[in-house]
Amino acid sequence: MPSTPRQGATKAIGRKNENSRIYAYPLPLVLEPPEPPIRWIPNALGLFGFSSFRVLNPYCKGIFDPDTKSVWITNSGDSLILWRRGFFGKGNLSRSEPSWHARQVNQRAIAGGVSTAEEITAKRRAERKQFKLDRAAALAAAAQEAEAAFAAGGSVSPTPTINIPSAATWKPSTPLVAGEADSKSPVINPDVETNDVEDIEHLQLTLPEAFFLIWALRCLGLSQSDPTAQQEMSLSDIWLSFQNIHLGPSFKSAAQLLSPPARFDNPFLINYVVYHHYRSLGWVVKGGAKFCVDYLLYRRGPVFHHAEFALVVCPVYEDPTDKKSSPFELQNTEPFSWSWLSTINRVNSQVQKTLILTYVTIPASAKYSPQILLTPSCLPEYSVREVTLRRFVPARMRD
Amino acid sequence: MDESLELPSLTPKIPQPTDSTEGADEQSSGEEDGGPDWTKIPSGSSKFSVRPVIPKRGEKDFEPSEGSALQQHMLGQMRSAMFDALNVPRTASNKSISYAIWIPHLRRAHVTVARGTLFNGMGHSVPRPLSPGEDDSLGEEKLHKRLELLPEETLYLIERGSMFCWMEGDVPTNIGPAWEDVAGFPISVQQAYAEMIGKDDLTLEKYQIYAYLKRLGYVVTRARPPTPFYPTPAPYIPKRSMFNWLLRFWGKIFTGIYALFSRKRNWWRPLHLGGWWDKHTNYASIFSSLRFLPAGHSRPLMPHKSTQLGTTGDTTTITSPYTIFYNLYKPSTPFRKTAPPPPDFSLVVVGARKTPMPSLLELTSLFDLLPEEPLPPPRQRHPTQSKPLPVPPVPAPTTSSVQTSTLTLGFSRLSRWIYPNWFRNGDAKVQPAVRKINPFQALKFGKKNIVIAVVDAGTTNFYRFGEGAFEEWPMV
Repeated sequence: MPSTPRQGATKAIGRKNENSRIYAYPLPLVLEPPEPPIRWIPNALGLFGFSSFRVLNPYCKGIFDPDTKSVWITNSGDSLILWRRGFFGKGNLSRSEPSWHARQVNQRAIAGGVSTAEEITAKRRAERKQFKLDRAAALAAAAQEAEAAFAAGGSVSPTPTINIPSAATWKPSTPLVAGEADSKSPVINPDVETNDVEDIEHLQLTLPEAFFLIWALRCLGLSQSDPTAQQEMSLSDIWLSFQNIHLGPSFKSAAQLLSPPARFDNPFLINYVVYHHYRSLGWVVKGGAKFCVDYLLYRRGPVFHHAEFALVVCPVYEDPTDKKSSPFELQNTEPFSWSWLSTINRVNSQVQKTLILTYVTIPASAKYSPQILLTPSCLPEYSVREVTLRRFVPARMRD
Repeated sequence: MDESLELPSLTPKIPQPTDSTEGADEQSSGEEDGGPDWTKIPSGSSKFSVRPVIPKRGEKDFEPSEGSALQQHMLGQMRSAMFDALNVPRTASNKSISYAIWIPHLRRAHVTVARGTLFNGMGHSVPRPLSPGEDDSLGEEKLHKRLELLPEETLYLIERGSMFCWMEGDVPTNIGPAWEDVAGFPISVQQAYAEMIGKDDLTLEKYQIYAYLKRLGYVVTRARPPTPFYPTPAPYIPKRSMFNWLLRFWGKIFTGIYALFSRKRNWWRPLHLGGWWDKHTNYASIFSSLRFLPAGHSRPLMPHKSTQLGTTGDTTTITSPYTIFYNLYKPSTPFRKTAPPPPDFSLVVVGARKTPMPSLLELTSLFDLLPEEPLPPPRQRHPTQSKPLPVPPVPAPTTSSVQTSTLTLGFSRLSRWIYPNWFRNGDAKVQPAVRKINPFQALKFGKKNIVIAVVDAGTTNFYRFGEGAFEEWPMV
């Protein structure tokens, strides 16, 4: 029996509650309220601005991989923490959440318990295809019927007898299979299958993501991909190598100090400023290449809602001579043509996202000593401004 | 119909035959692409009696099937509907037509007979000396106020068939008593285009935008007066009240003192965790202590000398095509020609092929000219309930409320910083009352808006650029 709408609704609510529980923490840090020996003590302390909250820092381990310009989290426990608490990174074999292993297990068990996001999408696409075929067939039948009616009596608009399915009314014609699968699933013992599959997936973090975790939250430690180097990289090493990596392959090695002078227009710095700005405002920031943009902003996270905003990062040189001398070919430093702007805007309004032009000013290098770029103290010299873009349709704005 | 669109406050007139055809045409132009549905437009025989009936449109046939008699029949029906509609002679009543004379050296049309409600949002009065020869005996020039039209206004009325226009010349016109001392010859629409485009900064693109918006019922005026007699709304001057000044002054002093006494920030450790002094009792405080990057349009943008945009009178600077050209008033906005209110929208017109989108500098200089807009009212679930409410008078009360809200916000932030725990419970009560607006809507709307009309060989696109303020609406 197909599920009634009410059942569907309760299912959705259940899933929502479940997600709220799994993804309860917006950051990998967990704040733990203390268990006071005497009740009034924390309140009294709070009055003076003190608190005895404990911060639980998971302190994850990552490996810096210069070739892919990313940071790998190979420990699956760490990956899970970073994904579930703040949606950092993506699985290298998955769309977002590292779910490759679960998919493999599901596939072997044929009907697993919970489908992964990729499986749900595949199922939806197959259904959609079937719906389109059904609709085309119904439309053709209706046209034939109308044709016949016209030939018979010259009536132009007969009431059609064939029901043309719409997206709202169409139902997949295979609910029985799903029901069978449901009844079967307890029989299969997934444990046997799970042991066969080795989890070869890792979580990959972009450099701004990694630096945010390392520097701002201090919950990630980084080591070199070179297995001989046992030590963790120092913050200063990380800071310089994340910048150097954009200078080309010859500057990959970390400790190489700024043989070309460090520059304010390093792509890592610009992207980090944008990433940090929106993260600090509480947004979940993910890449947006799928939608012609640089970043997408989610309010709580991708599992809860669709992204609300699509950001295009437009760097603005305060001093145009810096642009001429730049080794980086930064994108979007020049204003777009109208046709391109229209393209991006169309793509994003089609998927209910608002396009935001995020302008990042690049400080004029002449004003600062090059020493400022050796530490993150240069970050407050940048500034971020947004310009929102929407189409204006005069016919609809008349009131 | 057209006129009743433009001024809905007036009692609607009985649609005249010509108007009804035009009105129907415009309704279909609301659907942007594709040609008009000719079956909507009444054919010649029924034009005086029957209002156009909009037939129900059916499903689109995606695949033309060969040899389908039904499809052939439908196509034929549509085609004949189009020819019928085009066959109707376009007529206008003599009583509703206005008369004007175009004076080339003034680049204005002098309206001798003004008829119809269109003139409620068009034309301005200019004192001109009476024509020479008449008052010579007095020895001094006598000024006489008369109604004049800008080039785009003249062209629009001629093209619309609402006005006969003569070009000033030697031939006596001999039309009627009002035209005794007028000499000239009548001009056609084509002549009018040739004569008026290019006068007084009116490009073809700007005229196309003007005509499109006028047809939709907007009142469109020039933002920069071409002559001192042209009435424009009082320019927006950023408010620098004593209160604001004091606020900023004390803010500066406090930040100065704070900077003096606070430890120098260790840039390798932006966030302090785990100390007994640490004040993080919730995620909001962690996030807010990470907000140390400068953001927002309120901080001055420091452009390099070579890229600075031109202020008036500066010779070395680059002139930008992004200047506000038209002021736009919605049809529902009460508009007085002699004292125009602040515009509903400010419009820039550019050509799509010649001009790229505005740079940040150009956008900032446009935003600097505009007042902050109040947030749009929250979307109503039941639009019928909102109907009896009058249109709220916009600027005064909202700006003050914005000020107080930023003040209280600043105060609460300050106090939260001093006593983080104290305000934890209080916040929960206060916040929802202050923020009834959906933050997404506020973020999308921005604080200031500029409309840019982009014209590509007659195809128009309008974009709205808003001054975003994400830093004012943190999600946590």
